[in-house]
Amino acid sequence: MAPERSPLLEVEDLTIAFGDGAPVLDGLNFALNRNEIVGLVGETGAGKSILTRAIIDLLPKGGAITAGDIRVEGQSVGKLPEARKRALRGGEVALIGTNAKLLLDPVATVGSQVGRVLKAHRPASRTEIRSRVIDVFRQVGIVNPEARYEAFPHELSGGMAQRVVIAMALIAEPKLILADDATLGLDATIQAQVLDLLVSKGRELGLGVLLITHDLGIISHYCDRVGIIQGGRLIELKPVDQFLDKPETEYSRLLLDAAKVRPAPRDQSGDDAPAASIQPLLDVKELRKTFVVDGGQAVVRAVDGISFRLCKGETLALVGESGSGKTTAGQCLLKLLQADSGSVMFDGTEILGLREHEFRRMRRRLQVVFQEPYVALNPRWQVVDLISEPLALTGQRGGAERAAEVTRLIDLVHLPRRVAGLYPHQLTAGEQKRVGIARALATGPDFVVFDEPTTALDIRVRAQIIDLVRELQARMGLSALFITHDLNSVRSLAHNVAVMRHGKIVEHGETEQIFARPKEAYTRMLLAAELPIEANRSGKAPKTELEFVR
Amino acid sequence: MFGVMFATFFLIRLLPGDPALLLLGNMATPEAIVSLRERLGLNDSIWVQFVRYLDNVAHGDLGTSIFTSNPVLQDLLERAPATLELICWAMLATVIIGVAVAVTAVVRRGGAVDRASRIYGLAAGAIPDFWVALLLIYFLFYLLGVAPAPFGRIDALLPPPNRITGFYIIDSLLTGNWDAFISSAGRLVLPVLTLTIVNAGALMKLTRTVFGDVYRSDFIRHARASGLPESVIVRSALRNSLPPIITLVGFLFGFLLGAAVLVETLFAWGGLGQYAVQAVVNSDYPALQGFVLVAAAFILLVYMTVDILYEFADPRIKV
Repeated sequence: MAPERSPLLEVEDLTIAFGDGAPVLDGLNFALNRNEIVGLVGETGAGKSILTRAIIDLLPKGGAITAGDIRVEGQSVGKLPEARKRALRGGEVALIGTNAKLLLDPVATVGSQVGRVLKAHRPASRTEIRSRVIDVFRQVGIVNPEARYEAFPHELSGGMAQRVVIAMALIAEPKLILADDATLGLDATIQAQVLDLLVSKGRELGLGVLLITHDLGIISHYCDRVGIIQGGRLIELKPVDQFLDKPETEYSRLLLDAAKVRPAPRDQSGDDAPAASIQPLLDVKELRKTFVVDGGQAVVRAVDGISFRLCKGETLALVGESGSGKTTAGQCLLKLLQADSGSVMFDGTEILGLREHEFRRMRRRLQVVFQEPYVALNPRWQVVDLISEPLALTGQRGGAERAAEVTRLIDLVHLPRRVAGLYPHQLTAGEQKRVGIARALATGPDFVVFDEPTTALDIRVRAQIIDLVRELQARMGLSALFITHDLNSVRSLAHNVAVMRHGKIVEHGETEQIFARPKEAYTRMLLAAELPIEANRSGKAPKTELEFVR
Repeated sequence: MFGVMFATFFLIRLLPGDPALLLLGNMATPEAIVSLRERLGLNDSIWVQFVRYLDNVAHGDLGTSIFTSNPVLQDLLERAPATLELICWAMLATVIIGVAVAVTAVVRRGGAVDRASRIYGLAAGAIPDFWVALLLIYFLFYLLGVAPAPFGRIDALLPPPNRITGFYIIDSLLTGNWDAFISSAGRLVLPVLTLTIVNAGALMKLTRTVFGDVYRSDFIRHARASGLPESVIVRSALRNSLPPIITLVGFLFGFLLGAAVLVETLFAWGGLGQYAVQAVVNSDYPALQGFVLVAAAFILLVYMTVDILYEFADPRIKV
């Protein structure tokens, strides 16, 4: 038997490699105790997820532990017999992964899915299992758990699905929870709720929690200790306070700086602020768009009568949680969706009433950068073709002229010139965003819609993209609509902010004003949900209200 | 249904051949042919014929076979159970074997079943059904003598069991007629095996692909990380692979109704497919129309079942 006081999780000299390639994890050493929350930070590809899968001995095919050992409660995981390993997974060590909707069986009710995990570890009668599941659902904050028990995953929102996955992790009363980017892609408000829940449950039950993320804000709010992983090595591991005060390595400092990037509040002096007297470039009045869902049973008012103006050179941020209608609004402006009613005047022309062929001539002046760059880029085209495609709209014929233009655009978005011959899947997420931006800029537009340009990017990459957009603003005098739920980026970019909720604009005003003195409760809630790393860390209590306004 | 009736009625009349001539033989006098055509109503305009046909069908009368002189409905009812029994058992075996092999191949990747299934997957589809049937008859009946003779559904010396469902196996079980049961079950083995060998290949390949994708998906990985036993994981992955499998099974069902004809012929089965081919050869308009009508109704029924099953298999689909 294991000695009484061995740590909950010990990772010793862990090295993992695929085939004969370079190790993905290289000599990792750390321990995690009961009732402790350790955060691990690293950028995409640093080997974080491989670590979680190694702990439950479910490495992807081809991966193998080439040196070192992982022990849970003093027992080496790799040496356990198969049946014990199964009992360990979910029973003692529970994994919470990214994108809960993909982690749930689409054709089984969520209640039965959580129930079958319980049954696998703690056999019990049907009714007992059912009542336990409903009990745990209630604990993780699922409203009306009896009804939700019968729901299928596609009927749940992302946040709700994440709660189900957490319930699934908690149901068999494990001792160690591995949360692998558990809140990636969730709205900031939901993210805060989910993490609060996870952390408070962990504290309450005295669990060990390994919180893997690339968001230092989360670390600073919830973790006791933090480890930085770079290229498969744990380069730093220390209590969070010490880390925030003085990070040891160059890389940690870089990460920390990138996470702190913000304000550089916009230059408010004189000519930068758009003059109010000029005729607005874009004037939107009472824009409406409804969707009929459920076979005509219900109508969703995605955009419910919004109005705003945008002057030349101005950037307006449209902020809201997912489902607030902000993306729909952006698509209606560009006539990618047909609006139901309202008016959109662009440079003096009403565009909603234009026919498709009339509008096509205006297309080059109105462009969009899509949310998912990889989905929006044709995977079989090289970057050079992707960027030169929209150039056809501008009527530039000559091959040499066009090639020069492509090179200019590649330089403009700070991509290395060698990417011209690559395909989208060979690019990193940040490079894909840049290609998307270059495509949008190719026609020399007056107005660009950026749809969630920084979602799901690593912090440093996010900062770089924001820098790029700011630079473009300054150099090209671009007018832009910036659709996002990431308030940090808004602050350093936008002149004005419009907060959307349930299809309506609930608050609209100058950026600094909104940040400093939000009027609406909803805006305050959005602001409070952000997790800035330099905020007051008193007691690591779950955040509730506005404590970060400085 | 009306569309099917309309199309078949006119298409069949485009076929060359005169039923009267065929019925009376080469020695028939022109007068005899004319009078027979008169009697069969073949001299009326095609529209009159069509309307008369519709009226009859509406009254449940599919006409009288020119060739067997029996009402078409009676002919079809006699033969349908034979074919249905054959293809039902064949489909059952196809589904069980195809899915089981595919699942085993995916779960035990690189194992013996996986490798064997790859070879089979290549071969199946390349071998025509009559060839498989002939091989089986040659080896199992002629050389080894373990299989019964390929002559009909039941030993000619035994009376068929009392008709309840028309399926000999079920009828003989219900009536406790053990001789008939053993004989008819034995007779089924070779043709069912033939159809299964030919069709299970397609189903297996499809299931392998679909199930293989699901089996590698995130939620299955998560289920494994949650410590679910492998049997639960396989069941859940299989449930997620059902929709395409249901589609293919539905399609095969409809397809076999007519396509089993070569197998039926080889085993002297006396089923629908054989009847239809005879009808074509003999220009037996009413018989052929009746067959197409029944086949269309049957396929409609199968597809409806498929749609309903779909909704059960995947809660995201509303039919």
